[in-house]
Amino acid sequence: MTTRHLLGSAALIAFLAGTASAEVTVLGWPGGPEETALRAVADLYNARPDVAEENKVDLLFTSRDGFFDKLQVDLAAGSTAFDVNLIATYSIGRYAPFMEPITLSDEAGAVFGDTVLSTMQFGGQQYGVPTDLSLHFLYYRKDLIDALMADDAAKAKYADIAEQYLGERLEPKDPAEWTWQDFAANALYFSQSVNPDSPTRYGTVIQMKNLLFNMMVFHSWPRSYGANWMDDAGNITVDSPAYRTALEMAKMLYDAGATPPDSTSYEYAEANAAFTSGQVAAMIQWNAAAAELTAAQPATSTFAPPSGPDGRFTHIHGLGLGLNAAAENKDGAIAFLQWLSTSEAALAYARAGGAPGLASETVAALAAERPDLVQVGEYASTYGFVMNGGTSENALSVYEAQAKEFTGYWAGTQDLDTTMANITATMTDLLK
Amino acid sequence: MQNRERRENAVLASPLVLFLVAILGFPVILSVIYGFSETSFTTLTSPKFNGLDNFRRVLADQDFWQAVSFSLRFGVICAVAQCVLGLFLAVYLAPLIRRHGWMVAILIIPMIVAPAMMGLMYRLVLHEFAGPIPYYMYALFGWSPSFLNAQNVFTTVVVAETLQWTPFAFLLFLTAYQSIPQDLREAAAVDGTRPWRMFRKIELPLMAPTLFVALFIRFIDGFRVFDNIYTLVGAGPGGATTSMSIYIYEAFLRQGDIGRALAAAILLFGSAFLLLALAQLFMRRAT
Repeated sequence: MTTRHLLGSAALIAFLAGTASAEVTVLGWPGGPEETALRAVADLYNARPDVAEENKVDLLFTSRDGFFDKLQVDLAAGSTAFDVNLIATYSIGRYAPFMEPITLSDEAGAVFGDTVLSTMQFGGQQYGVPTDLSLHFLYYRKDLIDALMADDAAKAKYADIAEQYLGERLEPKDPAEWTWQDFAANALYFSQSVNPDSPTRYGTVIQMKNLLFNMMVFHSWPRSYGANWMDDAGNITVDSPAYRTALEMAKMLYDAGATPPDSTSYEYAEANAAFTSGQVAAMIQWNAAAAELTAAQPATSTFAPPSGPDGRFTHIHGLGLGLNAAAENKDGAIAFLQWLSTSEAALAYARAGGAPGLASETVAALAAERPDLVQVGEYASTYGFVMNGGTSENALSVYEAQAKEFTGYWAGTQDLDTTMANITATMTDLLK
Repeated sequence: MQNRERRENAVLASPLVLFLVAILGFPVILSVIYGFSETSFTTLTSPKFNGLDNFRRVLADQDFWQAVSFSLRFGVICAVAQCVLGLFLAVYLAPLIRRHGWMVAILIIPMIVAPAMMGLMYRLVLHEFAGPIPYYMYALFGWSPSFLNAQNVFTTVVVAETLQWTPFAFLLFLTAYQSIPQDLREAAAVDGTRPWRMFRKIELPLMAPTLFVALFIRFIDGFRVFDNIYTLVGAGPGGATTSMSIYIYEAFLRQGDIGRALAAAILLFGSAFLLLALAQLFMRRAT
């Protein structure tokens, strides 16, 4: 009896172990629409008749807190707990040594477009399938801008303020035509510290907390003046007129009271709270905030961030899924990733609530159901950029260092020359 | 007989000792190894010995000294403020508490809140557009101070820390105050000693050891502050609110510079150990 029990148990354990190792385990981004969408496409994939039982996808989710730090430790330790893992544009370089490049489906280029695919590339190789895309919108109160443009006295005051702070008389414009000068003039006009008659307390809200994600929001600004982290030869080019201009403009707005004085402690949630209170006229914020901001202020419209002498740009970064080098079921994982880069999977992911950056031909099929994705896809392909070095091993550390130095300058704890010298030295060390 | 007892004690204590060695000893040994090595997340299993390089880098790092300065200022100011306030509350409220003991439970409520939650709470309470304090200040005066800008953030975090931990000092002082024999007070009163003189010449000297312990504990707690500041303002603009603990955390997890982070941690441990030894020496001499 005992022997039979033992043999039975051994057989059960062997079966379970065999099943577990044969499945494709995917470590996804927990909570929110990303998880819902991933569950939907996993179900769709598993229901396909050509997917063998041992290659079916099993999903694994952990907490978001410290997710990327824990993932880094797992990958470095050669964990076999998952075959496919989440990656983000700004951390690919950290994970690349523990992952394997992949080949996407033949239709991937047409589905996502080259700009979006580049958010998952490192060292010229594709490390992941882009699943969700983040970029920035200019959010503005259309009711306020329309009222300003219909009032000649207000226009004259606007021009006076622009001349006083920016050195040139500017006319109010449709935000679709804004340069960063117009953005600044608008921010000043709608600030009660500059214009006591302003209907809002602040013209804008700039997220100036010492936090790496705030640097992503900021750096579309210097980019439109021609900034880059380094040139093709690998020289650090952060100390440039472009970065200096954008930093000085942001500080001028902060000092003038065009953004809340506590902005140096503001990140995503605080900035949204300011805008939804109705006391802010316009702001640059992540596309993910669209629903919250427009629900609270129905007169809110969106466009791509303002333009500069070098054009209009928006920072983009993506979440995606890539192949763990220590995966136990590599063939199954590669098959899933290739399928995930087809239009069938991308459309199913979007319909289930995900936010993939899709090329205009692909997103056309979703225009009625997900109009927001049309704008995201268009802006990503037209204005999207990744700084040279933005996917390197130390990209996150570069953002960290910029956050520390730039916020120090904005808060007045150090001057611009010191700031540029410090960040150049740090970035030279990090990106060597 | 004594030998047998000693052997039994050693056997009984060994599970606890082994547990501590496993839980504390292993990370400490690993920290020391990494502190003297060139290590990143990609070379965790193959650290390269680099002698004192990490320590040299830490000591030459301006941010490290800024963090040391912040932690020292924060620790000293908070400890003094909490002890002065706690002492005042203990002495002033002692007669009331003698009649209504339940008041102590209300006064120590801030201590029960997790520091990280306290940081998040102040982040909400002080927010210009969502917080009640700026809301009422705008409603009453049409103006509200900027609590978290670079000029005011240090004061704000000191006040937040003081409000949370003054009850700890209060509790210690109340216990010490209540344990002073009533006969002494009565004898002094019979001799015509006035209350202020009785406090300075009798009660305060008897409470001095408690005062010293409270100051020391609150300084150590303030010096190693992390969670409430980190959740409230992070490292601060330009690193203005970077304490020693935040410096180590950022170097380790945010910058992936494990060697530098652990070298700083070893220095922190060493200085805390030295401080503790000095405090013990001082207390021994004082008593």
